[in-house]
Amino acid sequence: MRWRHPVFGCLILALTLVPAASDVPSVSVRHAWVRETPPGITMTAGYMELRNNTSQPQVLVAASSSGFETVMIHRTIVKDGMAGMVHASQIELAPNASLIFAPGGYHLMLMNSKRTLRAGDPIVINLKFRGGLVLAVDFEVRK
Amino acid sequence: MNKPALKFSIMTTTVALAAMLAGVWLAEIYREHDSRAMLLPDQVITLFPDPKPLTAFALTDHKNRVFDLASLKGKWTFLFFGFTHCPDICPTTLAVLAHARENIAKNKAGTEDIQFVFISVDPNRDTASKLRQYVEYFDTTFLGVTGDNMQIGNLAEQLGAAYQVTITPGMENYPVYHSTAVFLLNPRARYHAVFTPPHDAEAVSKRFKVVRELEAGNPT
Repeated sequence: MRWRHPVFGCLILALTLVPAASDVPSVSVRHAWVRETPPGITMTAGYMELRNNTSQPQVLVAASSSGFETVMIHRTIVKDGMAGMVHASQIELAPNASLIFAPGGYHLMLMNSKRTLRAGDPIVINLKFRGGLVLAVDFEVRK
Repeated sequence: MNKPALKFSIMTTTVALAAMLAGVWLAEIYREHDSRAMLLPDQVITLFPDPKPLTAFALTDHKNRVFDLASLKGKWTFLFFGFTHCPDICPTTLAVLAHARENIAKNKAGTEDIQFVFISVDPNRDTASKLRQYVEYFDTTFLGVTGDNMQIGNLAEQLGAAYQVTITPGMENYPVYHSTAVFLLNPRARYHAVFTPPHDAEAVSKRFKVVRELEAGNPT
């Protein structure tokens, strides 16, 4: 059959690879979750693993969510035996590297939630990167 | 114009002392085999060889009951300083402690003689009712305690717990810094040991099991 010709084979392979390659976003997010809010509390934190899939640095410059009045990039630091939070105006992701937001370290500080968050609720947080990339990320609310 | 209305900070030598002791820990105790306990450095807990007796303090719990020196007698107390507007460290630690309590509940000795106390260093925002909602969310047996700044400072100083609250007029989310350690007081109201972060429920409950067994066989 003509379709078995190696040229066609290569062409089909090339055509399937092209869209696959362009599907990989410059930054991908995994394990995104937000801590459930205790009753009466309107403040919580979001955690995730960011991966820079490019060979250039990517810079996270802002975050926002329709579920919260304010979202800020924060980092818990321990100084003189005390924990406190410092605001990070931006975070640079090294080329082809991951950065983990986890309890006790980097986190998205989510302030003034518009409703009580219960485990299992979906929440979308938009992550803005320098250069215009905006990722709408689904975060899972967990206890 | 931007001056803090209130700023206070507690730092005592106890923190440095605890660090120097570098986590003295009884690694393995095989009481039934009559072998000797070993003292080894430990990442999780620092045991004090000569637990310091605490002196009088006066605070109030989330049900508006007095929480003072007498409240410590007869119970092992796990104590953590924080504030409810804390999005990261406090809920993380309280969730770990709730899990540790579940683990301890499975031990034969149970949880009758244990209490978990969350001390808010932010009485300005953390009223009794706010504390009640907050601590009971993590575990219905948890106590939420606070008081005036002098009395919080009194207890914090005895434990070497550092904290700093900077109430800034017009600033809703003013900065609060606080110790991340979990303090363990023994049923004689003495400062027995301190758990150092990052806290892990399994590690905390396992260490506590040994500490309690050791004390049960060694009442003084």
